[in-house]
Amino acid sequence: MSDISHLVQFLFSGITVGSVYALIAVSLVIVYKVSQLICFAQGEFFVFGALTMTTLVSKGVPVPLAFFLSIIIAMVLGALIQQVLIRPMKNTSVGALIVMTIAISLALRGLALLIWGRESHVLPPFSRGEPIQILGAALQLQILWIVGITAVVLLLIWFFFEKTPAGIAMRACAENPYGASLMGINTQRTTLFAWAWGSGIGALAGMAVAPMLFTQYTSGIMPMVKGFIAMSIGGLGSIVGSVIAGLLLGLVESYTIGLISSKFSDTIVFALLMAVLVFRPNGLFSRS
Amino acid sequence: MNTLKRYWWLILLAAIAVYPVIGKPSPYRSGLLIFAGIYIILAVGLDLLMGYTGQISVGHAAFFAVGAYTSGILTAKYGFSPSAAMGVGVVFSATLAFLTGRPVLALKEYYLAMATLAFNEIVVTLIIGFEGLTGGASGLRDIPPFTIFGFSLLNHLHYYYFVWTVVVLVIASALAVVRSPFGRALIAIHSDEQAARSFGVNCAKYKTRAYMLAAVYASIAGSLFAHYMGFIAPDDFGILTSINLLVMLFLGGIGTIFGPALGALFLKLLPEITYQFQDYELLINGIILIVVLVFFPRGLFGIFTALRNKIVPRMGK
Repeated sequence: MSDISHLVQFLFSGITVGSVYALIAVSLVIVYKVSQLICFAQGEFFVFGALTMTTLVSKGVPVPLAFFLSIIIAMVLGALIQQVLIRPMKNTSVGALIVMTIAISLALRGLALLIWGRESHVLPPFSRGEPIQILGAALQLQILWIVGITAVVLLLIWFFFEKTPAGIAMRACAENPYGASLMGINTQRTTLFAWAWGSGIGALAGMAVAPMLFTQYTSGIMPMVKGFIAMSIGGLGSIVGSVIAGLLLGLVESYTIGLISSKFSDTIVFALLMAVLVFRPNGLFSRS
Repeated sequence: MNTLKRYWWLILLAAIAVYPVIGKPSPYRSGLLIFAGIYIILAVGLDLLMGYTGQISVGHAAFFAVGAYTSGILTAKYGFSPSAAMGVGVVFSATLAFLTGRPVLALKEYYLAMATLAFNEIVVTLIIGFEGLTGGASGLRDIPPFTIFGFSLLNHLHYYYFVWTVVVLVIASALAVVRSPFGRALIAIHSDEQAARSFGVNCAKYKTRAYMLAAVYASIAGSLFAHYMGFIAPDDFGILTSINLLVMLFLGGIGTIFGPALGALFLKLLPEITYQFQDYELLINGIILIVVLVFFPRGLFGIFTALRNKIVPRMGK
């Protein structure tokens, strides 16, 4: 392989990983916007999405049906959690809320362990075929799926928040819940929707990479942490910011692993996060 | 009766002291109690920072790691005496906390949570990366036992008494701190930073000091851990450990010193009960925690004080 092909290969893996980080970051941001809460259980939806779809496909359910069923299951789960566990905790401190979502993630991880055991599972690729050769680098077809799914999801989210009444209502709730409720917006229902969407997108991230990853019940932790980073670099509440930060994070990671050091790539990524937090606490892309 | 209410902790102290004599615990069980003690030290330190000063940390295990690795490396590779190595660890942790404290603690809530989480990961990835010094991902071996005044701690019983003596000292010193003017300044920062500042409290300085104090406790816990185990690996000090500490704080009742201690004890002894459920263990732990958070927002210590007030009713008031 030539130098160029190496660089291209790192680009592919960076974009792949970056897309996943972006999706998880977006799922976190959606929940954060309406609940002012960072959900530490988001990594578990990643795992549930991946493993539910793997199980359904292995049971002979057609891929497209399995795909939508897995998303819907994750959405229902997310909505249930919001309704039963988060809603009663309205007047507690940030710390207590964080710990509540940690408790939820423990319980979900325990549930995943019971359902799927300790072994890893891998999903067959969405479509069969040889990798495409570009400049001497191999582009697996699943990468096209991942990038495509990410692009479609982001477009849908943009459309939803900008053009539909429900999306505008959700933005209003994020902006000013009290004012929104005075305008006749059902804030509780909007929050519920946001959680369902957040969980669905988290699950989608897991499903999209499931063919390239050995997923097991603990697989959600690292993607979630990386999602946090993308979200913080993007400036907690910004969807566009977190998408760019997610992609950037994937690329930085891929190139540092490839060109500098695989040992210290995480050190660099986390140092970057600390630097952004300390010097630009409103996110890398904020104007102020 | 009021005396009982006041001095209930003496009964606790006596129970800790006589337990090994009466209970004759197996090495496994005394091991659990030693771990519990080490985590109590960590949790009490974190409570000073989170419960009293109101500063979230999702990276407290970083200082646990610094203490453990300083002790481990200096005694196993450079022939330091364990107590000297522990001292170096404490100084090192405090310096690190001093240097990072000011910029990091200027952040609030989630930003602070993320920055501390990142700090934890940086420390762990550096430990994994500098293999030659730390043993890398596979861990650091052959850490000698702890010695005090030339006396080596050789068995579980020795460690039990030593660790729990440190626990008692840590709790006593933490109580002294929160009742001092310094502690009251911390509480003031927690309730309203701006108001505290307008009363002349130098918030940045006090927050950094609370952070340093918590780091020192964690470093001591790390040294004890390294010598007791004889082997340490980066997995013991990751974000999951920091998250576990948060859980202990809220489970026990944050901002009460005794609460987080109780939470640490409970969470470390819980496997003793739930291990028989095997694969259900994780799920049950999660559910117990959810139940406590939803129904007992003041934690286990809240339940304990409520019970105590019921059993020992207020007299002569």
